[in-house]
Amino acid sequence: MIEVVDLHKHFKDLHVLKGISTTVTRGEVVAIMGPSGGGKSTFLRCMNRLEEPTSGKIIVEGVDITSPYVDINKVRTEIGMVFQLFNLFPHLSVIDNIKLAPVNVRKISAKEATDRGMALLEKVGLVHKANAFPDQLSGGQQQRVAIARALAMQPQIMFFDEPTSALDPEMIGEVLDVMRTLAGEGMTMVVVSHEMGFIREAADRILMLADGFLIEEGAPREIFSHPKHTRTQEFLGKIL
Amino acid sequence: MTNLTRSAQYRPISTVRYGRGETPWYRRNAFLLGALAVVVIFGVLLPEPGSAARWTKVLLGAFALCTVAWAALFLSDVKKPEWSKTVVAFALLGLGLFLFWRYADAEWERLGHVFFNWQLMSEPLQGGYTGWTVLRDGLWLTVQLAVLSMFFSTLVGLLLAVFRSFNNPVLNLFIIMYIDFFRSMPIIVLMMLIYYALPFTGLRLSPLASGVLALTLNSAAYVSEIFRAGILSVKHGQIEASRALGLNAMQTMRMVILPQAFRVVLPPLASNYVASAKDTAICSTITLLELLKSAMQIQAFHANPTALVAATVIYVLLLVPLTRLAGVLETRMKSRRSTAR
Repeated sequence: MIEVVDLHKHFKDLHVLKGISTTVTRGEVVAIMGPSGGGKSTFLRCMNRLEEPTSGKIIVEGVDITSPYVDINKVRTEIGMVFQLFNLFPHLSVIDNIKLAPVNVRKISAKEATDRGMALLEKVGLVHKANAFPDQLSGGQQQRVAIARALAMQPQIMFFDEPTSALDPEMIGEVLDVMRTLAGEGMTMVVVSHEMGFIREAADRILMLADGFLIEEGAPREIFSHPKHTRTQEFLGKIL
Repeated sequence: MTNLTRSAQYRPISTVRYGRGETPWYRRNAFLLGALAVVVIFGVLLPEPGSAARWTKVLLGAFALCTVAWAALFLSDVKKPEWSKTVVAFALLGLGLFLFWRYADAEWERLGHVFFNWQLMSEPLQGGYTGWTVLRDGLWLTVQLAVLSMFFSTLVGLLLAVFRSFNNPVLNLFIIMYIDFFRSMPIIVLMMLIYYALPFTGLRLSPLASGVLALTLNSAAYVSEIFRAGILSVKHGQIEASRALGLNAMQTMRMVILPQAFRVVLPPLASNYVASAKDTAICSTITLLELLKSAMQIQAFHANPTALVAATVIYVLLLVPLTRLAGVLETRMKSRRSTAR
């Protein structure tokens, strides 16, 4: 579904991504792990071109998004993204946040968008907050609204950039529950996270990124119990 | 545990410096009332205005000093209720004005006759006008100039700011040239060029149009900088979230960035409008009989500056509500959560 070929990313002199190649197949849940500064978020953001790759190719559903002629907005409608800092629109209510993109990009009617939005809010357990504003919600609630907002576009793939890293421990659970449900329904997900429990249960494959290299790749069972690379062993030793 | 107590030097809190929490003698109600009584008696004994005695000024100075000292004691007291402090503050102001009125050697009647001669304003001039009607016509012209220039400068300024957000180097070059040029050119020169010089290129504008054009060109340069600051103040994550949803740059600007920038730009924009409204006076140089010029004409006719005082009052009455309106809008926006935390 997504194919990444020899992806390089420079931030001025800093060589952040050094030749990453991998694929993501439909229905797969891929977790990206690794030490800080390893390029995990950068890699995820390159895949929907929130960061411009310096070189390399990224092919999403057959569309080469690194080509200068691609309509990136069309591609982005198929990729939903959830951010570490939620990034909800503060001047709109929860339901308006969710409706904004479907009405203006997918061009569906307001009524249909509202119905879809309320169904999604029910899914994440926040129907009673439909008319609240983001600053009236807790972090966990905001993140769940953010997930509903991304799902409202009915994307084929969902990206999660450290979705629980800014949350209190009590609220992490509610967000992970939603993500687990999504994974169970067969959504293709790419998740950058440090939540070992979630990754162990829900991920089909783990990508270990360190210093810009993809140092190891494999199923959670293998990686956690028999890490091959020394860097992986170091990293897991510190957090497990 | 022993380390903690030994390393901190144990010293009692000095009561000399911090006080014991009791009310000091100079803040006790008894003292304050007594001091107030003394001040009042002092005030009653004040001499008549114009008395030649040398000690008049000394007495006056001493009285003023005592009053201010008492007021300072009262106003700096944390325990006194706010309403009483407001009363004292206004009373002090009133007393100051009263003393000035009584003891300054001003000829108040004559002053009123020269500067506040409303009767003269109502006297008929030639052609069935009175001073007030001339001012009224001038005011209407000023309002037209102000409203039109505010409207167009906001439009142009917003467009310029949005174009700048595209980060296109060529576009930016032209926009920055525009801003630098029209921020440094004096409006009066610009206005004269447009009205007197432009006709030579075949473009002849009416005085009103010339005035509006000059004011707009100048104001738009400032407005665009204000909007640009507002746009930059919106958190980058907002743009990322919006683009990640598939909204294009224009939609992001229209539906996500500008609504959030709006609250940030309102105070500087309001100041800009007020400055703009006052700049309309410059239009008098291109034959527009706006408020200030009308007042100057009446002054010339009567050889009396009351018209100018009237014009000032009208300007203030017009512009203070504008600034208050901006303040009200800003508070309303605050309660509607228009910016991301």
